[in-house]
Amino acid sequence: MRGPRSIEIWKMGAVNYLEALKLQEKLASDRKTHKIKDTSLSLQHPPTFTLGKRRTVHNVLVSEAELKAMGAELHYTERGGDATFHGPHQAILYPIISLRDIGIGARKYVENLESTMIELASLYGVKARAGETGETGVWVGRRKIGAIGVRISSGVTSHGLAFNIDPDLNYFKHIVPCGIPDKEVTSLQKEVGLGQKLPSEQVIHEQLVSCFTKIFGYTDITWRDKTSVSSDGHE
Amino acid sequence: MARSLWATRAASYLRINVPCRGFATGSDLPICGTRVGVTFHGMYLLYVNCENNFLSIHAVLKDLKYADSHEWVRVEGESATVGITDHAQDHLGEVVYVELPEEGSKVEQGASFGAVESVKATSDVNSPVSGKVVEVNKKLSDSPGLVNSSPYEDGWIIKVELEDDSDLPCLMDPERYTKFCEKEDASR
Repeated sequence: MRGPRSIEIWKMGAVNYLEALKLQEKLASDRKTHKIKDTSLSLQHPPTFTLGKRRTVHNVLVSEAELKAMGAELHYTERGGDATFHGPHQAILYPIISLRDIGIGARKYVENLESTMIELASLYGVKARAGETGETGVWVGRRKIGAIGVRISSGVTSHGLAFNIDPDLNYFKHIVPCGIPDKEVTSLQKEVGLGQKLPSEQVIHEQLVSCFTKIFGYTDITWRDKTSVSSDGHE
Repeated sequence: MARSLWATRAASYLRINVPCRGFATGSDLPICGTRVGVTFHGMYLLYVNCENNFLSIHAVLKDLKYADSHEWVRVEGESATVGITDHAQDHLGEVVYVELPEEGSKVEQGASFGAVESVKATSDVNSPVSGKVVEVNKKLSDSPGLVNSSPYEDGWIIKVELEDDSDLPCLMDPERYTKFCEKEDASR
């Protein structure tokens, strides 16, 4: 019989991609050595394109110079998954949790991340579903509303999920999103209808976190406002 | 998703029908919530986990040693072969990419030497032993799914020339590894 599960949620606002990456590396290292408990970062990024461990550069359709000219950055990461875009009005969750402590592996973890986004979409009457085999992510019909890319090292997770609230979908035209051609990208705003007003993004970020904590069985949740945190974790 | 051949053979031995992801039917069902270890052919220890009407069967080979990060090692004199266990491949999902180290590079017990990617997750693979990589399984570049379908044979990952065999006592024997898996799954 297991005891209560605890997690600390860092509400971070807009964070540069590399800063967030350095912070995750520090937190993951601290989590591996049990200096901290399960933690999750809740944030969004300025316009950023990223690639996964397989370095599928062919899925970025423009040069790095062109990306810079449009005000975006490009980063190569160690996460799973293919090319993706992160930007304003996209809710990101980076859980740094020990999968060994909760007895699950990569497959179940990713299924739970998919369920988190499906549950969030359902709060707005949007029927989303997990992808078919080989198409991890969350879809509404043939349109992708949420992406996942994860790294697991010594059983501790980093990177995570990105849910499209209302990002500028034109950015996705410059990549083959997640390496899957001929499928559209969508957003919550697009799916509820452009005339429908969504609540503030802060509310949606909090709902995303609540769906996550519910699905993963966390009962002891501490929220920390970390909007002025630097990459070494200090305010 | 590629089902482990070990689990399929085990299922037919136990006369349990296991279509798809291990949903069991048939007359020899263990009671839900129980975990049973059975010897099969003298070479495999089977760890059967029945939870929420899903029966999952993982094979644990008797002549191997195991790390708590779910890698196995077969030691033959000064050489060792390393891979990931049936339990590990099932928990990962379908492997689509294996990052292999360079032949000639050093590996250290407990440290990462490569990674596997499945379901948009890259998972580090740690070495159960210390030594030098003498061979990597190049078939995994074209057929990463071998890790799922044959985790203990065709899905081997690296061969290592052992540095110091005093590493081995801290690894788990098959019975201890099976209990370790039970304990981990029970914390879900």
